[in-house]
Amino acid sequence: MKILGISGHYHDSAAALVIDGLPRCAVQEERLSRKKGDAAFPLAAVEWCLETAGLEPEQLDAIVFYEKPLLKFERILTCALRSFPRSWKSFPSAMKRALGEKLWVKGTIASHLRVPSSRILFTQHHESHAAAAFLTAPTHEAAILTADGVGEWATTTTGHGVKRENGETRIELSREIRFPHSLGMLYSTFTAYLGFPVNEGEYKVMGLAAFGKPVMLDAVRQLIQPTSDGAFQLNLDFFEFHASATKSYSKRFVELFGPPRSPDSPIALHSPDGERFANIAASVQRVLEDVLVDLAGRLHRETGLSDLCLGGGVALNGCANARILRESGFEKVFVPPAPGDAGCALGAALWADRIFFKRPHREVPDHPFWGPVVEARELARVAREDGLSLEEVEDPAQFLTRVVDALIQGKIVGWMEGACEFGPRALGHRSIVAAPAPVAIRERLNRTIKYREEFRPFAPAVPIEVAARYFELPPGGERLSRFMSGVFPVRAEWRHRLAAVTHVDGTARVQAVDPEMAPRFHALLKAYGARTGVPVLLNTSFNLAGEPIVNRAVEGYSTFRRCGIDVLVSSPYLVSKTAAESSVPMLEAVG
Amino acid sequence: MLRFAATEADGGHDLSRAAELTNDALLRQLYLRHALDEHRHARLFRDRGLTLLTECQNGEASWSRFEANWFSPGERGLDDLRVDKDPQDGLLAFLHLSEKAAARRFCIYQEVLVSDPMTQSVFRDVLKDEAFHMAYTYKQLARVSPRRHGWRLWQARLVRVWKAYLRLMVAVASVIGTALLLLQYFLLLPPFALLAKRGALKEPPGWWTRRPASSLKSQY
Repeated sequence: MKILGISGHYHDSAAALVIDGLPRCAVQEERLSRKKGDAAFPLAAVEWCLETAGLEPEQLDAIVFYEKPLLKFERILTCALRSFPRSWKSFPSAMKRALGEKLWVKGTIASHLRVPSSRILFTQHHESHAAAAFLTAPTHEAAILTADGVGEWATTTTGHGVKRENGETRIELSREIRFPHSLGMLYSTFTAYLGFPVNEGEYKVMGLAAFGKPVMLDAVRQLIQPTSDGAFQLNLDFFEFHASATKSYSKRFVELFGPPRSPDSPIALHSPDGERFANIAASVQRVLEDVLVDLAGRLHRETGLSDLCLGGGVALNGCANARILRESGFEKVFVPPAPGDAGCALGAALWADRIFFKRPHREVPDHPFWGPVVEARELARVAREDGLSLEEVEDPAQFLTRVVDALIQGKIVGWMEGACEFGPRALGHRSIVAAPAPVAIRERLNRTIKYREEFRPFAPAVPIEVAARYFELPPGGERLSRFMSGVFPVRAEWRHRLAAVTHVDGTARVQAVDPEMAPRFHALLKAYGARTGVPVLLNTSFNLAGEPIVNRAVEGYSTFRRCGIDVLVSSPYLVSKTAAESSVPMLEAVG
Repeated sequence: MLRFAATEADGGHDLSRAAELTNDALLRQLYLRHALDEHRHARLFRDRGLTLLTECQNGEASWSRFEANWFSPGERGLDDLRVDKDPQDGLLAFLHLSEKAAARRFCIYQEVLVSDPMTQSVFRDVLKDEAFHMAYTYKQLARVSPRRHGWRLWQARLVRVWKAYLRLMVAVASVIGTALLLLQYFLLLPPFALLAKRGALKEPPGWWTRRPASSLKSQY
């Protein structure tokens, strides 16, 4: 059975293809269109999936969209009515967006793919999240918690999933918290208030939080209060997102927290305003963690299960995930590599396969590498054409030695291999890697490559078998670190040797690399460790600010030429910049 | 200035994409150089913009109030570059015209900004690069399309006019659509709004038991 899953029209569109119960390929539209967070209907992603599997659209048994458009429209319309007449400004734009495109998904899919509309199915948004989390996790029974901004009506759901030995699969989401009461919207409101782009800048709030103290907990707790049944509700007097398309917070919010940060002004961490913003970030981060730990703890007590599958965009918050693991009572916490909306494409397809078509469960390979495969020869061709220093090293051990040589010399390496990651993290196939110390390397990365705020940390990658030596991982920590989903303390005795990847609060969003998942990347870490004594590398996504993670070799090459990466590798090729080639040469003569 | 910065940064992304897509090694080099220039311009504009913003007493309020150049923000807003779709010579013709138009405007800004030498120097700096960009795009257009480069330039001019027309029409349609929707909002919705508000009062806070899932065939 061939099932195509599609997510789109909100942010981070994607397509995923499931054949006979197993993912065949999956990719975010942004990786192909090269527009960061591309929300358009993922036509390029769909075409790539079909081409990769050698399928024509008519060969698909089902195409599954990740949410129910009419139910979502009902929520948008109802919210506009409830906030009448305050919603007059947002009403036209909301209606134009919905009536212009979002409501006609079935027609869009049918016309693009030329398939009968009877084959087009719709899961609920949080069902897609739950399926992406549970059906890809190596567990047979688990509690499920999903939390994001909003789907149709639900913003948070809980339930549990079972994979029986006879292959039967059940996912039951029993309860939900409904819009506008949303953890995702709470965090996004603070993201907007702190001057960062919503749906993109949430990482920045988390990074900034480490520089502050949670001294405004009482203020934040005025915004979100527990309900008698163990859920939460937002105090809507402080918010505008439910009534406005452009504004998230109200005047009362500003009265409580002070003037918002202008998106254009830099954050000076030691200025009074910088400290205030960091304290606010720390406070909302703490409250979010407290609420999530409480929800997860209750779920653990109710279900008595040892495993928890977390889904939804909120599951990208590594600090919260780590606290859930430590404090909620669950022994293992599974977060998929793409817990956000992009992952819903895969979740929707798997839900249709297991639940709707009742196909028997099959263990999904436990890795994130479902995207396009890099062609090293393409890299060699463009490097040769441009006259750059190109080495071909066929022997894998020699190849790794050459990369490690460069890293030990303090060079920054662009590392491309195999299939692209599905999800927002670079997990060793499209990574920029560098030595984990000194701090200067982090500053260089920020200055010449990532062009990002100084308060944002870089993540380390470490072989899974020695991760606990360098990082304080609680039981289950290795699992949470598999896809870089948890933030854990760096052991004090190693902090000076891991200075470039240790955040100001002594933590790191560590990736514990399993040799079965990423053998070559694991081998690189081991080779680096054999030479330096510390098998840890700084690992950051291979992209420049405002661009999606690179996909093809030529995109890696273009990024390499435009920034301070010293060496670009895609086995068996290494491309280096000499001093004269440290940037694109002056071309007035030929121009 | 901040809008210029955003436009230049976007231009840089488009050019790096063009570099990734072309099979012409020389063009790749030139596009990459051009992309770096655009990023440098973005930084220059942004830095100056932020300084002006800080100097301005009510900087944020005046910045967000109104953009006089709303129809073509950042000077190249009329153009919707589609790097993946345009042929090589079409792209070069488009780039040449865009650079020329931007240089013309920047020249005017430079001339009128005598009272603000710092901002003037930013435009002067950027203009030097624009001259190179104009020259290389024209020269490469002639190389890539030796017989038809003149026609390509005219074609690109017509496309720019067409896109300006489309943008204007979309804006007009949007205004009409907004007016009609607002009319409906105030005339038709009030009774339903009353019902919705009353319904909201009855909704308990906290957990909801989920409704039994509808069929996957349903959009509702």
